[in-house]
Amino acid sequence: MEDRPHKPHRAAHSGAKAEKKAKGKGKEKQHGFNEKAFAPKSGRRAERQGRRNVERDQTRLHVPLVNRTPEDDPPPVIVAIVGPPGVGKTTLLKSLVRRYTKQTLNEPKGPITVVTGKKRRLTFIECNNDINSMIDIGKIADLVLLMIDGSFGFEMETFEFLNILQSHGFPKVIGILTHLDLIKKSATLRATKKQLKKRFWTEIYQGAKLFYLSGVLNSRYPDTEILNLSRFISVMKFRPLVFRNSHPYLLADRLEDLTPRESIRTSKGKCDRSVTLYGYVRGTNLRTGTKVHIPGVGDLEMKSVAKLGDPCPLPDADSEKRRRLSEKKKLLVHAPMSDVGGVMYDKDAVYINVPGNFTRGNTDVPQGEGEQMVMDLQDAGITLEDAVAQSQIRLFGSSSKNLGTEFHQLDEDEDEDEDESEESSDVSDESESEDDHELDMDVLRADPRNTGRSKPRDVARSMPSSSKGQRTEVDFADSDSDLGLDDDEEEGGQRTRFDGEEDFAIPSDEDEDEDEDEDAPRWKANLAEKAAEAFSKTPRRRNWIKLIYSSSLTPEEVLSENPNALIKKKMAEAEKKMDQDDDDDFFKQTAPEDKSRGRDDMDRTKEVIDPETLRKWEDEEMLESLRNLFITGDATAPPEEGEGEPYEDDEGGFEDFEASGKDPMEPASLDHEAQRAAALATKKEALKRKFDEQYDDPEGSSKLDFYDEKKDEMARQLQLNREEFENMDEDSRALIEGFRPGAYVRIELVDVPCEMVEYFDPNYPIIVGGLLPAEERFGYVQVRIKRHRWFTKTLKTNDPLILSLGWRRFQTVPIYSLDDHSIRMRMLKYTPEHMHCYATFYGPVSLPNTGFCAFHSLAGDVNNFRVSATGVVLDIDRSVKIVKKLKLTGVPFKVWKNTAFVKDMFSSALEVAKFEGANIRTVSGIRGQVKKALPKPDGAFRATFEDKLLHSDIIFLRAWYSISPRKFYNPVTSLLLPDKSHWSGMRLTGQVRRDEGLKTPLNVNSTYKKIERPHRKFNPLVVPKKIQASLPYASKPKLMKAQTKQTYLQKRAVVLEPEEKKAIALMQQIRAVRKDQLDRRKEKKAEKRAQHQKELEKEAAKKGEKEKEKRKEYMRVAGQKAKRQEDLEQGRSSKRRRT
Amino acid sequence: MTGGVVHYSGQQYLRNRLVLSVLSGKPVKIDKIRSDDHNPGLRDFEVSLLRLLEKVTNGTVIEISVTGTALLLKPGIISGGPVVHDCPLSRSVGYFLEPVILLAPFAKKALQLTLRGVTTDDKDLSVDLIRTVTLPHLQLFGISDGVELRIKKRGAPPGGGGEVQFLCPVVKQVKTLNFIDPGRIKRIRGIAHAVRVNPQFSNRMIEASRSLLNRYIPDIYLYSDVYKGDDSGKSPGYALSLVAESTTSALYSAESISQPGVAPEDIALQGTRALLDEIQKGGCVDQKHQSLVLIMMVLGSEDVGRCRMSVPTARSIQLLRDIQDFFGTSFKIVPVDASDSQLMYSCYGTGYVNANRTLA
Repeated sequence: MEDRPHKPHRAAHSGAKAEKKAKGKGKEKQHGFNEKAFAPKSGRRAERQGRRNVERDQTRLHVPLVNRTPEDDPPPVIVAIVGPPGVGKTTLLKSLVRRYTKQTLNEPKGPITVVTGKKRRLTFIECNNDINSMIDIGKIADLVLLMIDGSFGFEMETFEFLNILQSHGFPKVIGILTHLDLIKKSATLRATKKQLKKRFWTEIYQGAKLFYLSGVLNSRYPDTEILNLSRFISVMKFRPLVFRNSHPYLLADRLEDLTPRESIRTSKGKCDRSVTLYGYVRGTNLRTGTKVHIPGVGDLEMKSVAKLGDPCPLPDADSEKRRRLSEKKKLLVHAPMSDVGGVMYDKDAVYINVPGNFTRGNTDVPQGEGEQMVMDLQDAGITLEDAVAQSQIRLFGSSSKNLGTEFHQLDEDEDEDEDESEESSDVSDESESEDDHELDMDVLRADPRNTGRSKPRDVARSMPSSSKGQRTEVDFADSDSDLGLDDDEEEGGQRTRFDGEEDFAIPSDEDEDEDEDEDAPRWKANLAEKAAEAFSKTPRRRNWIKLIYSSSLTPEEVLSENPNALIKKKMAEAEKKMDQDDDDDFFKQTAPEDKSRGRDDMDRTKEVIDPETLRKWEDEEMLESLRNLFITGDATAPPEEGEGEPYEDDEGGFEDFEASGKDPMEPASLDHEAQRAAALATKKEALKRKFDEQYDDPEGSSKLDFYDEKKDEMARQLQLNREEFENMDEDSRALIEGFRPGAYVRIELVDVPCEMVEYFDPNYPIIVGGLLPAEERFGYVQVRIKRHRWFTKTLKTNDPLILSLGWRRFQTVPIYSLDDHSIRMRMLKYTPEHMHCYATFYGPVSLPNTGFCAFHSLAGDVNNFRVSATGVVLDIDRSVKIVKKLKLTGVPFKVWKNTAFVKDMFSSALEVAKFEGANIRTVSGIRGQVKKALPKPDGAFRATFEDKLLHSDIIFLRAWYSISPRKFYNPVTSLLLPDKSHWSGMRLTGQVRRDEGLKTPLNVNSTYKKIERPHRKFNPLVVPKKIQASLPYASKPKLMKAQTKQTYLQKRAVVLEPEEKKAIALMQQIRAVRKDQLDRRKEKKAEKRAQHQKELEKEAAKKGEKEKEKRKEYMRVAGQKAKRQEDLEQGRSSKRRRT
Repeated sequence: MTGGVVHYSGQQYLRNRLVLSVLSGKPVKIDKIRSDDHNPGLRDFEVSLLRLLEKVTNGTVIEISVTGTALLLKPGIISGGPVVHDCPLSRSVGYFLEPVILLAPFAKKALQLTLRGVTTDDKDLSVDLIRTVTLPHLQLFGISDGVELRIKKRGAPPGGGGEVQFLCPVVKQVKTLNFIDPGRIKRIRGIAHAVRVNPQFSNRMIEASRSLLNRYIPDIYLYSDVYKGDDSGKSPGYALSLVAESTTSALYSAESISQPGVAPEDIALQGTRALLDEIQKGGCVDQKHQSLVLIMMVLGSEDVGRCRMSVPTARSIQLLRDIQDFFGTSFKIVPVDASDSQLMYSCYGTGYVNANRTLA
């Protein structure tokens, strides 16, 4: 029976069952989304669901912020690795770099830039344990990898760092737990993870990402874990932070000293240096002419900024067609400060750096002149071939034809070529008579207009700019000697220098003919003039940018008929004058007054109405010609001088299509026909767009809410920003809009303290923060401040405080205050507990709404929490209105009914006069007024009160004394120290006294004395008998004499009956028995307690022994761990503070 | 050194330079002020302007040399608030109002400025034009609510005796301008005012002006504004100011004021023709307001602002150069089309934020 197979199931093909199944099949089809399952069952539920959806939508929304970082070529994302020492930062950095570039760094120092994807580069930077570094890193990092020792827990620095981040705009933070392999027990591990995660979430936000790195393999973290981490980094999105979105900044990845060696030698290394810093521009556009702040150094002037080729470029679209990054690109790593494994990767070769005699970075070897020269040879930026290709060799200085220039200009057309050669000849001229031209300019400058630009003409040093024709590979290890050369070998046509007088090389096609005579050699000057005159007959377009920004013409001359001719004339004149000067510069005829000077310019807005020019409007035809400019006119007719014509046809939206032509004119010619067709087409298009808007997409553009509208507007503006200057060349673009974020630039700074170069340490980040014009100034800054609840001391007015505000770190002396009923700002001696108050200090201005954090000390050896306060800037002013209460006291020396003479309040009649009419009050609350000074005791005055005073009353006058903060500003110059973590600013008075061993001076009047209060005897109130007699009974004093006779109860004697006696005796006996009983019971209890105590003691002793043993074991383990730690760090100062 | 003092010579373009200095915070030194004139040094109205700047700002240091031919201005912050100033009769209040209009939006508190003196003269914008043309230009930059100019009394030169009150709110940041379509003129407005003369004069001016303008559009309103008694100042005078507004609210303005021995009709015709001249020049901003718009464009957020204007005046050219000295910003100026008369001015705003404004 068992081995017989079961009958197979036969599905019904017909009948009720089959029908039922067929019906069910249709239902099964809608697998996945069942509408009914999620439909609300009731109206109330539907309403609730709807409300929830709306609320969820609202939480998604954020204030729309403009992202100023360009999307096409963004700067590398700064990933900072932060954590206490010994937590594994360097290991993580090495692992990550290895993950991205397959290279092992020996000693990572400074920023390390790697390409991680087709659209993303990362700059890793490790933050050391110095709080100055933490502050600086916190201001620039886009992503923080916050490392926490899992086996130890959070440390104080971690919390300090988080607080710093909070006050400077919070970047993204990923927590990383390390040393988890030290926890052996899995239950403990789980508990630790949970506990640390909970704490981490409360610090950052619920659900913040926390990574676990288990152990170290081959001095790296496990590859899979690093891969996971790198994936998280690669998908990270960043929201622009307000401060960084309004300031340009860069993280310098290279520093170079440009100071002439000779001046260093003569000053024994103490002269101010000129330094170049290299890095990617971030934030907003970096403009020349503004100041920058380097935290730890100070405010510095940018002498020049030059854009360099990207040392770590993103793969461009045509080279990378694949989805993934090619292996070759992956190898790219830019870390000039750290030795990248002794291996340098080029585009097509790998160089292995064998340390030898002439290797750079080998500083311990003494370097003579010869060695230096050999080292410099290594710095050649371009190959010989490239150099030859770039240079333009001329046989003679005056010859116009170059040798071997065709090589790189194949794609440029003929006339441009010509232009360039002209240019180069001009350059040669310039170099020949450099001093002549300097004089030239002086003469030109002396014209009456005299803009008097204060900027000295700076000979811009620039790296070979990457031009369109050829892609120059810019080496980032160029020496200074190259840089100087480049200036002379500049390619023509590409370079614009608005400051320079001579080279107008804005590439514009309409300029060509002008350029020809403009750049003519000197001996052709007369020819040029003639040519110019010939040209002036024909109207030509003028280059306004050139005329305004790079010519020395007066505004009137710019507007004149032929400004170009004037330029040349001026040059010629200047030259002529030069020649004259050589002959007789002693007796010089002063230049005749210019016309423009002659009429006294009144700085008037309205031009003088010239009746002659208006006469043309008497002509009827002229009047008629304007008709098109009015809405009643004909729109399609060719407008007068190009008016009414839309600026850009594709612009759309702006044109008034309604107004445009109703009835096109009679088509007279083919031209008209085409015009009409075009007009019709635009009209049709507009109508279609209108139709689309109305009917096509009902949820689309027509129903944009506020949020989307704003976002749209921003996107449109960003697009305009991108497109407006797109077709300009690189240099003039930099002049107009500055250097865009993402550009790799070289900033030359002058007057840099020599200590910055001398004590340069790549482990400390160098940040160049651009300052807004307002931030260069100084003033009184009012901030809202709150003492940090973990900071143990209170903050005291006039105690120095170190602030990290904007880019700056500085020490200043604040005054704390509170708003007193909106009447006055009242000084506070100490900051209030758990409350905000105001603080006012003198220092560099920051924009309102900038956050800051404050410290008492930045030293590393402080044991408690160092962030002493946080707050935000409220107001900036040049004066302050803080007052402090002042009470003047006096005593009456003569009292009448409502008048009293008061002394001891003032010391002279003049003072009294100042206070006439002031309100005064007694301690008991009687109010009064100062009336007039008295002649006799100096400073005494007459005052009136609302009631009669007592002689013993004290009178006081409440006044407000205005104070202002001390003008003390001390930047924290930590980067200028040989030992960067030991900056010391102004000390507190107490600290100074302690250090100097001085005692606090004691004012005897300030000491507390015992208050002697003599007992006051008050005489009894006596009402005279006569008055008493006349008083009514109710008012009569009721005085009664004490009774002198004994009362009955006092007098009587008591005799007991025998029975009573017996009863009393019995009661006494009973009481005695009871007392005895209680005594005995008490004794017994005490005995028992003593015994119990003994037992307890015994037990406690036993327990103590056990505890002792346990502690011993723990200490043994801890000691081992500490020892291991020490071995690991090898002398690194370990500062661990348990939270 | 750019962070240091900006240095100029000559008395020309003083107002723009002072305004740029106060806005940018960079000290300015101007020397050789009429140094070889018969009457060297600063004029009374220039000194008065400096006094006004001192009143409007806090912490400004102004040093004038003994001879008056050199001037050093170390700007403080713009404080605003209620300010009263008596202007000298040599210039009209327009001379003083123009720089203040540029400063007031960036003050700490809303400015309530009362100016007394000549309200209309031939050198500066009259108060009518400032009210109807200059202040609407601020609207392009997002400064609209509460901007007001009240003409309490009129004062014709030489006696003056007028009084105006200028109210301006405080902004955080001005909007980026993008004004490229001048549109076509849809309406013309005008004010013909007469003080201490026959009120019929203003009507005569209106008649004459209409005779020219009526051919273009019907939407023309020319108001006759006659002040009487105490409000009419101390001297007789009359003037006509005209404003043409386009579909995209571009404004063109012109005015002409009474001259001795010239009939009001001729004055009106002169003004009207000046307006036509202005209309013919085209652009989105007329020539008198180029400097206002250029400065405001530079102060915009860090975006590209564009404006279509006609050829720059000499003042504007110098202003562009001065802007480069103070803010380091230069403009891109290219012709719009084949003809050279219409130019597109575009610049990258400096992201100027009103740092003086108090928070909360």
